[in-house]
Amino acid sequence: MFASSRIFAVCAGALLAFSCGTQKETPKVVETVVRPVGTPVEIGTPLGLPPVPIPENNKPTAETIALGKKLYYDTLLSADGTVSCASCHSPEHGFTDGMATSVGFAGQHGKRSAPTVLNAAYNPVQFWDGRAATLEDQAAGPIANPVEMNLSHSACVDKLSGNADYRKLFDAAFGPGPVTIQKVQMAIASFERTVISGNSPFDRYQYGGDRKAMSAAAIRGLALFKDTGKGNCVKCHTIDEKYALFTDGKFHNLGVGVNSEGELTDLGRYDVTHAEADKGAFRTPTLRNIALTAPYMHDGSAKTLRRVVDFYVGGGSSNPQLDKEIKELHLSGPEREDLVAFLEALTGEMPANAGPGK
Amino acid sequence: MRKLPIWIAAALLAGCSSAPKPEAPKADARPAAPVYFKVDSATAGTVTGKISFTGRKPAKKKIDVSEDPQCAKMHAGGLYDEAVVVNPNGTLSNVFVYIKQGLEGKTFEPPTEPVTIDQSGCWFRPRVIGIQTGQPLNVTNSDPVTHNIHPLAEINRAWNQSQEPGSEPLKRRFKEREVMIRVKCNIHSWMRAWIGAVEHPYFAVTGADGTFELKNVPPGDYMIEVWHEQYGKQEQKVTVKPSGREELAFTFKGE
Repeated sequence: MFASSRIFAVCAGALLAFSCGTQKETPKVVETVVRPVGTPVEIGTPLGLPPVPIPENNKPTAETIALGKKLYYDTLLSADGTVSCASCHSPEHGFTDGMATSVGFAGQHGKRSAPTVLNAAYNPVQFWDGRAATLEDQAAGPIANPVEMNLSHSACVDKLSGNADYRKLFDAAFGPGPVTIQKVQMAIASFERTVISGNSPFDRYQYGGDRKAMSAAAIRGLALFKDTGKGNCVKCHTIDEKYALFTDGKFHNLGVGVNSEGELTDLGRYDVTHAEADKGAFRTPTLRNIALTAPYMHDGSAKTLRRVVDFYVGGGSSNPQLDKEIKELHLSGPEREDLVAFLEALTGEMPANAGPGK
Repeated sequence: MRKLPIWIAAALLAGCSSAPKPEAPKADARPAAPVYFKVDSATAGTVTGKISFTGRKPAKKKIDVSEDPQCAKMHAGGLYDEAVVVNPNGTLSNVFVYIKQGLEGKTFEPPTEPVTIDQSGCWFRPRVIGIQTGQPLNVTNSDPVTHNIHPLAEINRAWNQSQEPGSEPLKRRFKEREVMIRVKCNIHSWMRAWIGAVEHPYFAVTGADGTFELKNVPPGDYMIEVWHEQYGKQEQKVTVKPSGREELAFTFKGE
């Protein structure tokens, strides 16, 4: 999270330099540093997770979290008042939408499957292609995206500024001042940092010392998950000594989305880096709560966990950038079922107060 | 500059289309397109034949389908290996037959209609196919499970592709002659198919009567090769006379 504060500082610096150089044209733009005000909130850490990373400039307060939550569930953030963040990241579907690709503004489909917001606070970068460094950056994207909420940031600020309730909430969260898109981003990000889920049967087994927390099948599945000669899933879906994020936060090409002619239909990380090796690579998603977030893969092409396991058994689909760790696995039928049982043991406790309403 | 040659205009138009086409350079290669051999149907002949089987039929081998309970469900009576299918008339199914030699120097236009391999009942159907190089291969999945088609090509490029139920057919091609390409499904270890890719249309796979027929063959001297996954290869010379009908007989012996 140092990274994000550094970026912020750089931005502020750039802004200052900019205003110095063009003083005459923009004499009135005085950017003050936005800081949350109000009652600081300590975000608890459930069993199996590390402390939630908090950026220095956006320490959560009861007020920013409450505002962020209201914004998250408010369709006012879309151009036609029909789409909210929760439309595609709904608590009823493990903070996704249960669809292969999401339906956004005017019934349009995005090209990728909505990732879960659960534990997104731990992702070192956001989006399937990692194009946002922080939750704050991420929150700005879908609002303005024409196929998602299709509301320009200035229109978004205008709508919120015209609403007396929101003005009050913004003042309470950030002190008196105009509504800005930055405050919208910070509030939504603070709310999302409370959407944390741990204490799954796996956590109680692995970190809580409860040998009975997982079924025998799930325990066998865990062994296969870690076995470098079997599943070797931990290679990317990491399990650490004191906690498990089930993601290395890196980008890998599995050959998902290779079309009938053998070409990649979505270049993924390459769109951000333009590095040849990143073609078709996507951010490793967490596996926590995976049983709640079907369908799977960046394009939602796998409907069930069994099919995901089979996909890996098959060694993905060949393409020039296929990750070297993706190769045919030798797992018997019962072993594949054990892996599924283990994945189902990753469903954690849902965060309190993260749903809609007060 | 006033009159652009048509191909340049076409290239410009193609350049304007929004979809990125990585195959674009292929269009440039088109002027060097091969001159395809035209068979004179007035003199063309036919090679027919039968693949007999003698000796002991291998015992039926039950397959362990525990890798996938859904596959097991489709075969309540058990699934049996189909490497050797001896027909009731004493002939052999799934024998790939093709002209091995004698067509050198002739280039045959690849057909545009695809050959299809379906993944059905947790088998590849058919088990043995012939395909002309350049001809499209369609791979479909009619099963409710994820499959994976993995041709272990050695001369052509090997590839491996997973296919979810209900997904669109995969379309692939083979560039070079390769007899045979072993195909497996990494997900279901018993699934097997064999692809014979040849650069001409003179190939066949025997079915339930164990016979084959190669039609429209230009008169000439040929080597015919037959291949079976368990019993290997055999070859015979044949001379096709103008409008002739040549009959061959092959016999594979069981152990």
